[in-house]
Amino acid sequence: MTESVNSMIVNIKAFARFREVLGSGFTLDIPMDSSIKTVIQEIANRSPEAAEMLCEEDGTLKGYVIIMVNKKRISGHERESLVLLDGDEVAIFPPVAGG
Amino acid sequence: MIALTKGEIDIQRYIEAAKTKKTGGIVTFTGVVRDDGIEHIILEAYEEVAEQDLIRIAGEAINKFSLNSVDIIHRIGKMNVGDTILLIVVGAPHRKAAFEGCEYIIDTIKESVPIWKKEYLTTGERWVPGEHAPE
Repeated sequence: MTESVNSMIVNIKAFARFREVLGSGFTLDIPMDSSIKTVIQEIANRSPEAAEMLCEEDGTLKGYVIIMVNKKRISGHERESLVLLDGDEVAIFPPVAGG
Repeated sequence: MIALTKGEIDIQRYIEAAKTKKTGGIVTFTGVVRDDGIEHIILEAYEEVAEQDLIRIAGEAINKFSLNSVDIIHRIGKMNVGDTILLIVVGAPHRKAAFEGCEYIIDTIKESVPIWKKEYLTTGERWVPGEHAPE
């Protein structure tokens, strides 16, 4: 459910070290038509540790951060530019280490 | 069978199940908790995605190497030294395809499936960096 016609809710999931810093799951209320970049900025604003974990000094997303939207991996410039829809699930996590 | 599980893995059961009349070779990979001075490890997964990834990887391997069967059982949760983390069982008409298929599966899992390991050492704790983590 949206708060107003000009905003939307996205569901954030974080895993491994990111989960320990950010929490496992939470929602963000952001302006309609926001991109992943807005989500990252909102999360980075939560704490210096979150900012250092996710962003370079110029605010761009660090290369090792993996992003999935609705369980689909996002690559290339879309890691920041992809425009989100109300109710989207955005998962963020560090490189995998299974097996 | 393709699964994430919190229970112990019965390796022999899956090997026996892979024996069919058309199978000439079965190759298994067993990932085990190594004693690097750890007390235990905990594996965490993005479960919905990891399960679908394992299913996709098994299908790719079957098609790519003309395999008869693939089982992938990956544990999550707490494990001790010596416990089985991962079992891959690949059945094929001939050994070469079975070896190549098994190697493809473990390499692809390590590269892309969202699972992480945290080691609890006598001196503290640390997340294991992935093989594909940046330097």
